[in-house]
Order: sequence, then structure tokens, then C-alpha cells
Amino acid sequence: MPLLKCEHVSKRFGGMVAVDDVSFEIMSGELMAIVGPNGAGKTTMFNLINGVFLPDEGHIWFAGVDVTRFPSYKRAHLGMGRTFQIPRPFASATVQENIAIGAMFGAAGGELNVEEAMEVADEYIDLIGLKAHRNKPAGGLTPIEKKLVEIARALAMKPRLLLMDEAMAGMNPKDIDQMVTFIRHIRDVEGIAVVAMVEHIMRAVAGLAERVMVMHQGAKLVDEPTREALNDPRVIEVYLGRQAEEFNAKG
Amino acid sequence: MRGSGKYLPIVPVLAAYALLLLYGLAAPGKWQLVAQLAFYCALGQAFNLFMGMTGYVDFGYVAFLGVGTYGMAVTISSLSDGGLGLGIILIGFLAAAVFSTILAMAVGAVALRLRGAYFAIATIGVNEGFRYLIEGARIWNGADGIIFSRHLKTALGRKMAMTVSTFWADIFVFGVAVLAAVLTLYYLRNKVGYALLALREDEDAAKVMGIDVTRYKIIAFITSAALAGLLGASGWALKLTYVYPPDVFEIHYTVEAIIIVLLGGAGTLMGPIAGGLIYGVSKYFLAITLPGFQLLIFAPIIIAIIVIFPEGLVGILKGKVHGTSLEKFVI
Amino acid sequence: MFFEQLSGNLVQGLILGSVYGMATMGLSLIFGVLQVVNVGHGAFIMVGAFTALILFQSLGVPPILAIPVALLIGMCLGMIFYYGAVKPLVSPSGAGIRKVGRRQLGKAAGVFVAVMIAMRILSGVLDLNIAFSIFIAIILMYAFLVYVYGGRRQEKGPELATLLVTFSLGVILEEVVKQIFTSEARGYNWDLGKLDLGFTVLPFTKILASGGSLTVAVLLYLWFNKTRAGMAMRSVVEDSVGARVCGVNVDWQYALSFSLGIGLTVTSGVLLTMFIPVGINPYMGGGYTLKAFVIAVLGGLASPYGAFFGGVVFGLLENGSYTLLAALPGGEPFALTRFFSFVMLLVILLIRPTGLLRRKG
Repeated sequence: MPLLKCEHVSKRFGGMVAVDDVSFEIMSGELMAIVGPNGAGKTTMFNLINGVFLPDEGHIWFAGVDVTRFPSYKRAHLGMGRTFQIPRPFASATVQENIAIGAMFGAAGGELNVEEAMEVADEYIDLIGLKAHRNKPAGGLTPIEKKLVEIARALAMKPRLLLMDEAMAGMNPKDIDQMVTFIRHIRDVEGIAVVAMVEHIMRAVAGLAERVMVMHQGAKLVDEPTREALNDPRVIEVYLGRQAEEFNAKG
Repeated sequence: MRGSGKYLPIVPVLAAYALLLLYGLAAPGKWQLVAQLAFYCALGQAFNLFMGMTGYVDFGYVAFLGVGTYGMAVTISSLSDGGLGLGIILIGFLAAAVFSTILAMAVGAVALRLRGAYFAIATIGVNEGFRYLIEGARIWNGADGIIFSRHLKTALGRKMAMTVSTFWADIFVFGVAVLAAVLTLYYLRNKVGYALLALREDEDAAKVMGIDVTRYKIIAFITSAALAGLLGASGWALKLTYVYPPDVFEIHYTVEAIIIVLLGGAGTLMGPIAGGLIYGVSKYFLAITLPGFQLLIFAPIIIAIIVIFPEGLVGILKGKVHGTSLEKFVI
Repeated sequence: MFFEQLSGNLVQGLILGSVYGMATMGLSLIFGVLQVVNVGHGAFIMVGAFTALILFQSLGVPPILAIPVALLIGMCLGMIFYYGAVKPLVSPSGAGIRKVGRRQLGKAAGVFVAVMIAMRILSGVLDLNIAFSIFIAIILMYAFLVYVYGGRRQEKGPELATLLVTFSLGVILEEVVKQIFTSEARGYNWDLGKLDLGFTVLPFTKILASGGSLTVAVLLYLWFNKTRAGMAMRSVVEDSVGARVCGVNVDWQYALSFSLGIGLTVTSGVLLTMFIPVGINPYMGGGYTLKAFVIAVLGGLASPYGAFFGGVVFGLLENGSYTLLAALPGGEPFALTRFFSFVMLLVILLIRPTGLLRRKG
């Protein structure tokens, strides 16, 4: 049984169709990337999976439950974690408190009290290597540290699926490689399925994902294993092709 | 903050209230001032439970004090012949809490579904709206209000009624202040507090973390409203032994609550006490030296605090003691 | 009899509604451009009412001619308040974000003391009392801090802060006016004769007020749609980032919209007193704030024209409901009408929360 299943999901804003009849599945422990140029509907798709928006048509199942009309927090209780494109840690809370909030209210939340959640948070602080900042307000961290706090906060929720919105935007190649290793590591150790949304960093896609879904103008273009997807003529046509042409023209 | 130290910050709070109470009992002629200060601390503490913890402003907050006042007044004026003795006051407090809780649920059902500015718009007319409902539909004696000093004497006897309105009413205000402080600390140290912190900082991110934001907003809203009801029942109803609609729905009390919370530091435990004491003392002296000018002087100070020191006094103090041994006492 | 009364009240409601509509356009304009809800709205209406009253009573200026004066006063107030208190919270270019430290505070305290001393010396000449001196000293100390060292940016977003600041600005206006004119209710009597429609009588002053409101609304429409400046402001409402990219000075547009919004609101105070020339007092604004919010959510909070039509609808509803409530036995129709407008606000917010909740874009 798939962990996440989207069936004919559509979302319109006014006259514009942001997501157009998209269906796909994700298995437990899978690493998948949703790729597409700006405006392809990736963020809307994320928001639909996550419950920030409700779809106009179609159904979404998560962990065997029909979550189509569920608010975000109920999806989180079922084990869906998320990070944002621009990291949004709770600025006045300390790093430890931020992560503890994830542990307190996420999928693990039912049983944990504040003290237990703080202990869980300490484990994740070690994992992301921010022990020195444990008691500092998250608002004062660097963007990359904020991103790490946000990922740790999502992991502390004990999710079965982690949605990462542009996890590597604005990073240099070295940081990207580290992040890819880190994401693979959490998948391998904790068995979490990860869906990463990537706009244009193909280096990250190739290293990270086992499967790629390419979106174009709101619809699903291809959904294939990474190697095939990146060599698919349709993908090259709408997405990579343009970059390749530009590259060739310059070269 | 693990283990037994978790609730330590209640110590300075209790000490502050105990000192204030002792001062009032010991210094001749200062009881009224002390009672007023306790009222402001309690008001700030109750208001802070919602505004400070969630970051939403309820401009109609005084309505909860107003209905609480009515809760006590209606109870005493209708049950005074029942031979309940002091029990009548207990029932009055119960009625006050119930009235304000019901109003909070009615207002909250609409307003708490709304975000930010729309919430403020929904609440801004609550006090006026409720006042005009009472006057317009002639509920609870309409625009004439309820005068129940006679009923209080019937129920408790002349001497006891006197003591209740001149002394015990103020002690009850202290009680409300302490109750509000205990609840604030309890919330701050438990899941409720972290949920409120998260939703105050970023409501969307909070939802994604699995926080049922509406539920926690309702908890804070109703707690804050019920405390306001108790405060109205003690600080106004029992003390004055009458209720008059334009007085108990007067928006200036909401203004005072805002000043106190901002002055001390929104969302902190001790902020409202610091704010209440500073505001109360300055108002007391301004009322003597410059009667009628309090708001003229305090309104620009609110703006100055918001623009220059948004974290308030205790917020600044918290920054100063960070990393020292005093840290666990100051929140 | 009842229907005659009802239709009479509805006609009155229609013309009062057009004034209500105009009185809400400023609120909507400010929200549309700056995303700031002016919680002190009613206090600015009060300033307009006093402008009309004072000009008429002490200089004999007919209230209709007080409109340009009120607009000017309002726009000046708007500019002062925008740069003094609102800009540090909302400025799109992020101006004024420095921290205030001990040294700056020390200097500001110095300003405070110096001003206090100056006031003490001047108080004999200017006949200022000490409270006003304190007030002015606080304002100057504050202005010194904000101007020389900048405000501090709000970490949690400007919403809560702007609500509290506009609320406090309203309180300041009320208190200043109270100190100057006391809190007693005043009124004036400007009589131009009456128009008898048979079922109701309309004083010409009311018709003039309604006509004035309509004129202002039309002028605003033309300005927004036919002039460069108006279109620049509209572009900020549509998309402030896009507008900046296209070379619109968004900072200045913010200041201008706030100032214009306040100007319109103060002007509406003049027109409202032409309709109801009594009960002018420093705290008269509270009721109008509530009404303006009902109207604004009726018409869509960010749209000045929506607000105008919302005002007309509200005027009809208010006067219609008054007639109906007066027919009920055992109630106080005036108070019930005010309760009714509050219920209306909650109901609108309840049935259209999504439409109203959505911010632009």
C-alpha cells in the first residue's frame, strides 16, 4: 500500500488552473523529487498534500486514510512533516524549544510531555550539530542554521513523510552535497519517505532522488526513475532543454 | 527548566503580591491604592493570557468584565432572600465565570475563525454591542442598571455586607490576580504555552507542526474571559454594589489593559505585574496632580513602547538575565 | 402610516448612507494600500466634526466650505502620524530598523528634560499647563528617538503593532481635543430650509452633505483612474512589489495614501455634522468606528468604492431596521439599532470569512 496517494487532484485559483488532474503515489521510505520550472504548480501541489489548500477535485490518501478534507494539523498527526522554502522557525523560541514543539505536537505528540519533548529535541540538536546554539533564539541564526533547525523540527515530529520545499535553494555546491547526504541519511536511518521540491538544481536531484516527477503548467509531465526522467526528451524539451540550449548558445 | 524548578517563577510573583498586600494592611490610608494596584495587576494578567500569549488584540475585552459584574449583581439581587449566607458570593462568582465564558464562546465562535486584523475588527464592537443589547432589549433592568446594596445587606447582614464590599472584594481581586498568574505559568510551562508561542510567531507553520491552533486560541480566549468575569464580579460588583451599563462596558478599561501588558512585556508572567504597578502608581499620582490627563500622557507612551521597545520591561530584563542564575526566576 | 414612516426613513437612510460611505473610504484606502486597519478611525471623524463646528461658530464659515480646510488638516495629520508612528512599522523599504541603546536613550532623556524646562519657562507666555508640557516633551523625546535613531522592526510582523498604534493615535486625538474643548457635547445650527417630499422632510443641509459625499467619491474615482498619481497608488494596491519594479516610489505612495485616507476621513466628519449637527464631543468617534467596520467588511475592506456602496447599503439597513425595531413593543429602538449593527458585523464576518479573509494576491 502506498504511503501517499493522490488521485486526479486539481486546484484552481480564479480562472487559472494551478494543479491540473495530477495523480501519483509515494511508497514508504522512498526518495522522490518534484521538479519543474517556476510556475509549474509544485508549491500548490505541496500545499494540497499538506492541507494548506483543499483541492477542488480529486482525493488524497495518506497512511491509508482519506485526508482530502483534513486540516494541516491532522495530517501532521498522521505523520506528515514539512519544511518551507524560506525557513520559518519560531523566531523568539530557542533552538531547543523549536525542535521540541515539533516533538510535542507532531505524529509523536500524543504521548510526549514538555520534558520528554525537550529530551527528544536534544537528540536532534546533536544530529544537526547545533549544540552551541541550543539556548539561543532561532531568530538570530544564519539562514542555513535556520534551515537545519526547521528540518530538525520536522524530524522531531517523527514523520513518515517529509515534504521539503526547495531544501537546497540558495546553497553553494558544497552545502548542497552535505544536505543531500544528510537527507539520504535520515531516510536510511529513520525510514522516512522524502519528497523534495526542486526548481532547478539538477545536481541535487540526480544525487538525491530515486524517482522524479516533473510538473509542467500544473500537470504531471513524467513520473519515472531519476536517470530516465533526466534523459526523457519531453523533460529536456520543456525544462532542461531550454537551459541546455542556452548553455550551448553561450558555449 | 526540568523537574522541580519548572514552576519557580511563581515565587517572585507570590512575593510581589504578598508584599503589596502587607503594605496595604500595614500602611494607614493606602488600602484604596493597593486595591487599585491589585486590580490593574489582575487586569493585566488576565488580558495577557490572551493578547500576550496569542498576539491577537481583543478590543472588546471589557465586555467580559462587564458581564462578570452582571453575573454577581444578578445573583445577589435575585437570590438575596434565599438564606444562602456567604454562599451567595460563591454562586455569584460562578455565575460571573459562566456568563463571561458563554459570551467568550459566542464571540470566539465568530472571531477566532478570523486572522489578524479581522479578529480585531470582529471584537471592537463587542462591549458596545452588548451594552446596547442590555439597554435596548431592557435585559437585567436595561439602561437603569442594577443597584443591589440593599440585597447584599439582606443576604449577609449589614455589617458583613459592609466588610465584603470594603475589604473582601479587594482580597478577591488579589485572588483573581494570583489565579491568573498561576494559570499563566502553568500554560507557559506546558504544551498549551508552546502551542500558543508557535501560533503567535507563525500560525501557518504552527498548523503544519500539528498544532490545532483554533483549539488553543479558544483555550486562551476562554480562560482570559473567565478571569475577566471574576475580576468584574469582585473588583466592580462586590466593591461598588451596583452595575450601570455605560460604566462596565467602557472601552477605557481595554485601553488600560493594553497599556499594562505592553508596558510590562506581552506574553511574560511578570510583565503584567510590573506594568500594573507602574501604570497604577503613575495613574494615582497623575490623578492627584494632573486630573484628567492620564490618557493624554499614556497614549503616546504606548506608541513609543511599540515602536522602540516592543518586548516591554520584563522582555528587556529577560534579555539581561539570560545565562545567569536568575534566569529561571524571570519569565 | 407604518409604510410612510418606513419609506421616509429609507430615503433618510439613503442620503445618510452616502455620507457613511464617504466616511469609510479613507479606512478602505489605508487598508488597501498599507494593509493597516485604522482602529482610531472614529477619532479622525471627530476632528472633522470639530473643524466644521469651530469654523462655523467662531468664523461663520458655512460647513460646506469647511471641507477643503478639513481635507488639509486631515492630510497634515496623516503625514505627521505616518512618519511619526506608522512608517517605522510598515515601511516597505525597511527604513528605521536600528536598535535603540543606552546612549541614545540618555540623549532622548536629555531632550525630555530640556523640553520640560523650556515648557516651564514658556508656560507663562503660552498658558500651557504642566500636563500638556509633559505630553509635548514625551512626543519630542519620542520623535527624537525615531528620527535620529530609527524605530525597531517588528519581528512578528506589523499587524498587532499597527492595530495598537492606530488605536493609540485615536486616543491621543480624543484626549487633546478633550483638553481644548472639554468633553461636553456641542452642536451648531445651520439652516438652509427644507424640502418636503410629503412622506418625509429633508433639510437642504442633509441633501448638500449627501451631494458633497457623492462629489468626493466621484473625484476620488477620477483621480484613481485618470491621473498618473492615482494610477501609481492603485498599482501599489494591486501589487506592491510589481509597482516598485515599475519605478513607483512605494514608500511615498504609502505616506500619500495614509495621508489621503486620513484627509478623507476628517472631511467626512464635516459632512456627518451637516447631517447630524449635534452631539459633537471628543468621544463621538467610537460609534462611527464600529459602523465604518461594518460598512468596510460589507463592501470589501480593501476597496474604497466598495466601501461607498457598503455605506449606502448600511444606511438603508440601519434606518430600515430602526423603523422595524421601533415597531417592536418593549424595546429601545435606538439602542437596539446599535446592537443590530454589531450583530451585522459578526454575521458578515461569519458568512463570508473566506472572501474577507483573503488578502490581496
